[in-house]
Amino acid sequence: MEHEQDESDEESTAENNETEGIDEFDDEETSREIVVPGEVLTEDTKNFFPGRGTIFNKDRTKIISLNIGLKQIKRNYVNVIPLRGFYTPRPGDKVIALVTDKNPVKYRCDINAKEEGILKPKNTVKRGKPRGFRGGAPDNHENSTEKYEIGDILIVKVLSADRLNSPELTTVGKYLGKRRDGLVITIDPPKIPRIIGRSGSMIKMLKNLTNCNIFVTQNGRIWLKGEDIIHERLLIDAIKKIEKEAHTVGLTDRMSEYIESEKKKRGIN
Amino acid sequence: MPLIINDEYPEKLFREDGKRLDGRDKHEIRPIKMEVGVLENADGSAYLEWGNNKIYAAVYGPREVHPHHLAKPDRGILRVFYRMATFSVFERKRPAPGRREKEISMVITDCLEPVLFLELYPSTSFEVFIEVIDADGGTRCASTTVASLALADAGVPMKSLVTALAVGKIDGEIVVDLSGIEDKAGDADLPLAITWFNNEISLLQFDGAMDIEEFDKCLTLGREAAEKIYQIQLDALRSKYISIQESV
Repeated sequence: MEHEQDESDEESTAENNETEGIDEFDDEETSREIVVPGEVLTEDTKNFFPGRGTIFNKDRTKIISLNIGLKQIKRNYVNVIPLRGFYTPRPGDKVIALVTDKNPVKYRCDINAKEEGILKPKNTVKRGKPRGFRGGAPDNHENSTEKYEIGDILIVKVLSADRLNSPELTTVGKYLGKRRDGLVITIDPPKIPRIIGRSGSMIKMLKNLTNCNIFVTQNGRIWLKGEDIIHERLLIDAIKKIEKEAHTVGLTDRMSEYIESEKKKRGIN
Repeated sequence: MPLIINDEYPEKLFREDGKRLDGRDKHEIRPIKMEVGVLENADGSAYLEWGNNKIYAAVYGPREVHPHHLAKPDRGILRVFYRMATFSVFERKRPAPGRREKEISMVITDCLEPVLFLELYPSTSFEVFIEVIDADGGTRCASTTVASLALADAGVPMKSLVTALAVGKIDGEIVVDLSGIEDKAGDADLPLAITWFNNEISLLQFDGAMDIEEFDKCLTLGREAAEKIYQIQLDALRSKYISIQESV
């Protein structure tokens, strides 16, 4: 029984991120024009509709921006790709969570959102596992919170989330579970697509050049583990640089140049 | 031995050459400098120098409300904490929040609420902390201006920025952007804030005596001056990102 408990944990490191391959920042339709809240994006309200981060004004004569971000016109929708913001949990998101509290019925996890996520013990073990002796008493883990401790780093999936209730989490699934090693860093959640890059180009480049395993999650937290601390430091510096320069053009090429030059400077092979 | 300073105001608030005591014209605003993203640990932050005023604003949120009974189940709340540093004014200010600070916090909250979409964040709070490091008249207007900038920097969805400034009457003349001494010794003082998505006035306070024509003139002058300040706000927000774009 014991060894089964950790099955979902260790194996899962590289080759993970289910990237949709959309880098909003690096889209052809995204202009480099920085817009601010209240800025009029277009007065042509017959041909365009407000999309993400935009609204009509009261008498529907203008489309105005709600965020600080980059203007994007996609088909007949005007969008604003935000440069700052916070994470809103959505069902299906894989996020890195920190166990902050537990009681006999549930764990509470900090997922970098406005509310703490709830992890129930029934969502931490696989269904349909062989029960206890002769299929009798149920598995102990099914209804007790002994599997994780306060302070554990978990990779979880959001099961349900809406505006009113706390998001519910699960650790059953591919790549999900407790992480025993590596580092977790936090960046601005809206810049996560930039770390992944168009169809995962940026993250592939980072992995290849620094020999690190990376797991990028939608709530702005990144788990990483490399051969040694020097490689990890280089990767963290690179990620911070991407975060800072997310709204510029030609970032992937510039980052590979940056990593190569930093490697020479720091004396890494 | 304590230093005793007589609280005397000059008899005239205009110089002989027709300019104000600090050398400004009647309708000239004080020099303004704004910056965003100055505080590392805040979700959004801004710094403002407006004449001799120096103000920091920090925004946190959306986050859970403490104490919990203040939370509203159908909408979020905005809480503003306006505080003055002990050394911000000439005579030491007692650090405990007083009547004036609570009132100004409330006034700024009501002024900023119309531009936010609080109904999208039920049972949460946005918190704005405003710290006045140096005060010289018009801090409530300057605080409103810098708070809206910090909210925009935090990525809080908002309909537009808010700009505030004070218009008033000194020695029988209408002037724009009162300084500390003009505020105290002048005849009337009219702080106003404008929300740009509908060009409406979101804050209007009045103290002193003025006839209705002067009041109308004050509003038009205030709007003109606010537009200049609005441009500085926009530049401050954009320049954070544009400077990075240009440097690479």
